[in-house]
Amino acid sequence: MKIQTNEKLLVNVSVMGLVCQPNFQSLPAEPYRLDSFGNPFLLPSWGSIVHNVSVGDSAFGWEADCIHPGVSIKYLNEAGNRGLNILSCVGNEATIMSGEVKNSKGIVTGKSGRFSEQVILHFPKKIREKISIKDKILIKSIGVGLKIKNFEDVFCKSLSPQLIKNMKIEIKNNKINIPATHIIPEHLIGAGSGLTSESGSLHIQTTDSSEMKKYKLNNLKLGDIIYVENYDSSYQHGFLRNAWAVGVIGQTNGPRAGYGPGMTILMSSKKNNSKAIIDPKANIINYLNFVK
Amino acid sequence: MLSKLKTNEYNLVEMSIGGYVTQPSFKNPGYIPNNDGKSVILPGMFGVVNNVKVGDQAFGWAGDHIEPGISIDSENINEHFALHYLVCTGNKALVRSGDAKGSQGIVTGEHARNLVHFEQKILDKICIGDQIDIITHGRGLKLIDFPDIELKKVSPKLLNSMNLKKVKNKLIVEVAMELPIRIMGSGAELNSEYVDQDLMSGDRSLMKKLKIDQMRLGDLIVINHADHKWGRSFKKDHISIAICIHGDSVMTGHGPGIMTIMTGKKSDLGWKINKKANIKNLLKIKL
Repeated sequence: MKIQTNEKLLVNVSVMGLVCQPNFQSLPAEPYRLDSFGNPFLLPSWGSIVHNVSVGDSAFGWEADCIHPGVSIKYLNEAGNRGLNILSCVGNEATIMSGEVKNSKGIVTGKSGRFSEQVILHFPKKIREKISIKDKILIKSIGVGLKIKNFEDVFCKSLSPQLIKNMKIEIKNNKINIPATHIIPEHLIGAGSGLTSESGSLHIQTTDSSEMKKYKLNNLKLGDIIYVENYDSSYQHGFLRNAWAVGVIGQTNGPRAGYGPGMTILMSSKKNNSKAIIDPKANIINYLNFVK
Repeated sequence: MLSKLKTNEYNLVEMSIGGYVTQPSFKNPGYIPNNDGKSVILPGMFGVVNNVKVGDQAFGWAGDHIEPGISIDSENINEHFALHYLVCTGNKALVRSGDAKGSQGIVTGEHARNLVHFEQKILDKICIGDQIDIITHGRGLKLIDFPDIELKKVSPKLLNSMNLKKVKNKLIVEVAMELPIRIMGSGAELNSEYVDQDLMSGDRSLMKKLKIDQMRLGDLIVINHADHKWGRSFKKDHISIAICIHGDSVMTGHGPGIMTIMTGKKSDLGWKINKKANIKNLLKIKL
């Protein structure tokens, strides 16, 4: 049986962000971060305009620290940026409002966590070089407040009606069945635990390469919908037996301890009321209207 | 040739960053002490330099630390450091505002700010404060067959143009000249991911004798017994390759600046003198 939602009651609010700059720690000018083995590294991290990494690409192998595919935006002040980060939902439409490619359309694909607090957008590769740092981008946000009928204790967040209706979610035996590319055991969840689940990211930790192989996580792609076991992201992110969370891989792997591909949480419940259906095609590039 | 040398070029991220054309700045009253302790006042650093280009002489200008072409920076300190850590020589620069909007230039190095070259007809239209975005590409670049050679701030475009040769398991780089380690000065206090190091040109007769006074902006140079991996230090049998990025200085402990692009052990890395080893020629920069 198909799910029913309260889509028609959701409010559509415009939020704005500016294409952000890369930034690094200032003085004392020690530029290095440490990888999980204690070695210093200096690599691009987070967002700005990333020209050659897109949703659908591998989450591994890049010379980067949790890089965001496509374009990342931020608002000018802290409170306004919180508004941008909470209200933007994966699948929402984004429009460039200034510069050379004004009026071009994109899609919200994820969010980033503490230290960067950016919203991640996809725009076609061929226009990315024409997008300028500080260009204004407007998101017609819709999705906050989304509920699934008869599953009111499932918290939906950062999840647009555009996306949920294409995720092939079905109700079987009183459980919502959610197609996902991978099931992530709770012990492989690292950075992000303890922080808010309404914005920001939660990271798979990838230091233990044998566990990566065991759970076939090395083939994770940006945009994959994944299912986390025994994890409750109803409010903040934290461990809870029989709870579950569903997220979308928003950013790449990184070398720091506790870090790896980041996800934006889309759904979570404290109750054992869902089931993951493994589907290698459960990636948002197959659910939303992506122009490469 | 490099075609035989493997790199991780396809794993590198291309990322935009914006900088702003800087205004020449002085601390009041503007004088600096020269090698003889006399006060002088000279243009240098910052801004748009209209008549000094990559490929021109590094010595002889009535200037101090002259940065060829355009110097860009951000007043936001975190963005300032990102500009220094991500921008690589050979990267594409795009003008985003002002009369020259849409024009393309090329990154020629890094000093206290990032240096960008534009053709003269574009340069003439550029104003202080214009935004210039760099498509950064090169941070994390590695030579697969030489894992102990560290590359810094070199774009794949520049690396591919450098006529690198592999001779008896050693990487040979063409450089315009060798600098003796004992003349390396200001910049030793900084980590080698940031800014440059000046050669000390105060011993004018030595500069002439070693023909260092013929150095050109954009020249590739080598320093023997210099390890630039984590900082800039004397270390026997370590070699560092750099690019001359700014002009001479009158101040003690200063002189033309060199920006590190490669550093490694003598067993891995060697050099060959070729006076034409200048990024103007390698990157085919048009004036």
